[in-house]
Amino acid sequence: MARMSFVEGLVEGMRHEMRRDPDVFLMGQDVGKMGGAMGGSRGLIEEFGGHRVRETPISESAMVGAAVGAALVGKRPIVEISFGEFLPTCMSQVVLQAANLHYMTAGALTVPMVLRTRVGDGPYRGHPQCFEAWFAHVPGLRVLMPSTAADARDAMVAAIRDPNPVLFFEHMWLYHGVREDVPDEVGSFDLDRAAVRRPGSDVTVAATGWMVHKALEAARLLEPEGIDIEVIDLRTLAPLDLDTVAASVRKTSRLVVAHEAWKVGGIGAEVTAAIAESCFYDLAAPPVRIGAPHFPLPMTKPLRDAFIPSVEDVIDAVKRVRAA
Amino acid sequence: MASLSTPTAFLGTPSPIDGISPADRLGLVRAMVLSRVLERACCELNPRWFPAEGEEAVIAGAFYGLRPDDVAAPHYRGPFLAYAMRGASLSRLVAQSIGRATGYARGRALGFTGPADLGFVPWVAGDLGTTIGVATGCALGFHYEGSDRVVVCTFGDGTTNRGDFHEALNLAAVWKLPIVYVCQHNQYSISLHSSQVLPIESVAARAPAYGMPGVGLDGNDVFAIHEAMRDAVARARDGRGPTLVEARTYRLGGHWASDPGGYRHPEDEDRWRQRDPVPRALADLVDAGIIDASGVESIWEEARDVVSRAVALAQAAPEPGAMDLGASEALAASGRDDRQRDPRTGPPAGADAWRE
Ligand SMILES: Cc1ncc(C[n+]2csc(CCOP(=O)(O)OP(=O)(O)O)c2C)c(N)n1
Ligand SMILES: [Mg+2]
Repeated sequence: MARMSFVEGLVEGMRHEMRRDPDVFLMGQDVGKMGGAMGGSRGLIEEFGGHRVRETPISESAMVGAAVGAALVGKRPIVEISFGEFLPTCMSQVVLQAANLHYMTAGALTVPMVLRTRVGDGPYRGHPQCFEAWFAHVPGLRVLMPSTAADARDAMVAAIRDPNPVLFFEHMWLYHGVREDVPDEVGSFDLDRAAVRRPGSDVTVAATGWMVHKALEAARLLEPEGIDIEVIDLRTLAPLDLDTVAASVRKTSRLVVAHEAWKVGGIGAEVTAAIAESCFYDLAAPPVRIGAPHFPLPMTKPLRDAFIPSVEDVIDAVKRVRAA
Repeated sequence: MASLSTPTAFLGTPSPIDGISPADRLGLVRAMVLSRVLERACCELNPRWFPAEGEEAVIAGAFYGLRPDDVAAPHYRGPFLAYAMRGASLSRLVAQSIGRATGYARGRALGFTGPADLGFVPWVAGDLGTTIGVATGCALGFHYEGSDRVVVCTFGDGTTNRGDFHEALNLAAVWKLPIVYVCQHNQYSISLHSSQVLPIESVAARAPAYGMPGVGLDGNDVFAIHEAMRDAVARARDGRGPTLVEARTYRLGGHWASDPGGYRHPEDEDRWRQRDPVPRALADLVDAGIIDASGVESIWEEARDVVSRAVALAQAAPEPGAMDLGASEALAASGRDDRQRDPRTGPPAGADAWRE
């Protein structure tokens, strides 16, 4: 067992694959000597040099286009967009090129690239936008959002090995959290499976990123009241593992979905709609979605604290689906 | 690794215009000193503030003298001086930098955003380069209405690598839009020296390829910058189209105030510290006989006084609360029509504009 923080897991995953496969390289802004934003690539340039840890200009669209092209000719690029807030600047490369190339060439081509980026509220409060749902809407992309250090490492490894374009969302609040036990062996992260983080019998809470941890906290707080929550870490946002959620709902009959991104058009909308389709008669109460309210994300702490879904929001939602 | 580079020669040199009056020279320098003191205070209050130290000549030179009905789109590093010279309240700006409710955006937008009602393109998101397009659009509006209003837009050297920069300059040149683009070239984007991300010495060298004049300047010479700006603004005002100005300077501080650094040569930092534009501009005033040594001291004192009062007011201001959240304000009320607003009037941007 090793002890690792979330960000150490991310870096370890990249290091592991860069050692194994000389075609794997990283490019992004400040990924070299500075060690990456928030230490997100610390130590890599020292080990692999500037050829494989490449500093880029502030040219996000060209960066992603370059990753797509390099992937087409057999490389395994990891391109880093410093913050998810900048994804709109390279949207066509992601949703029109990377996503379409395999299907539109009748399977002749693959795009084995990873686009990693930081999202969510974080200790520095910068660039918090959560745009992951946009990418789950588009076929041809994998979208990952790990919530533990072990998954950070193993999902990164799996993403690099996968033949598809993978969007890899790293939640900033988790970056420098407590170190967790991580198995020495690099695990086989299943790109098609959600993870049950806490088994329970009364209510299913399916969550993403930081909200997974808030859901676990809610579960601890509700235990003394005799309420037993099953917490599912959705972690593979596309394709979504609806089977795991459905199996849980068949057991609990109650569903809450929680994420930090806007509720309207979010991942939670997809999960609840799909569960309503597949498990309507298993549900004892209407599902409840938790997400940010529908206005732009404010920047200062008091406003952001009011904006971002909290542990209390999860508790309220659990009580609502139980009361119904 | 970063090496010392000297400011580039003029490219497409504009015809020199009359010198700058002693009053304007004094105003420009008072503005620079205000910026130095104000930005230092913000850095002390907020370790995540982006220091503008060393870049004051560019900011003062670019925005000084702008008309109140013009539009300004300042770079995110050091914009408070641009706001102050057009009448912003210093205490509200400081409040903004520490996230208080009395800031212009009530705690909603980024701390360096501008007072929108004073004719600024505000910072409503953190993606650099996109506002260059918005600024260009303001110039389109002025061109469309046939007015002589202009836009001045500043941005970093790193930002010029965004596709939006290239698209905007091409559009402005092909439509002859009334805008002056100013590259606040401090040689760095975060930890990267410009030589790592730009294969040519000068951003202004690209101007002829876009179909507009380019001017490369010593970014620590406020008078040269302002003179070039007056020429470029005049060009834009009378319909002769955009100009790209590059003012080459150096980021004396870190990327943010508490940046541990370690990615550049201390000798470079020392060398540029010796070229600090603020003492240089003050010395120029003394040499020209515009002020004497006691005049220098009183310029500093004036700035320290007004900034310390602003800091005290800002610190006493409340944090944003539920009232400021504006949960229902993502869309404007239907029927609202901002064309009924009169263009701002008043004196041009200068060193007598800021308020407590
Ligand atoms: C589109 C985009 N990409 C990356 C960033 C992250 N970032 C913030 S400041 C900065 C450096 C900008 O360099 P420059 O334009 O030279 O301005 P300076 O910081 O030197 O004033 C970067 C890369 C960003 N804000 N927006
Ligand atoms: Mg710069």
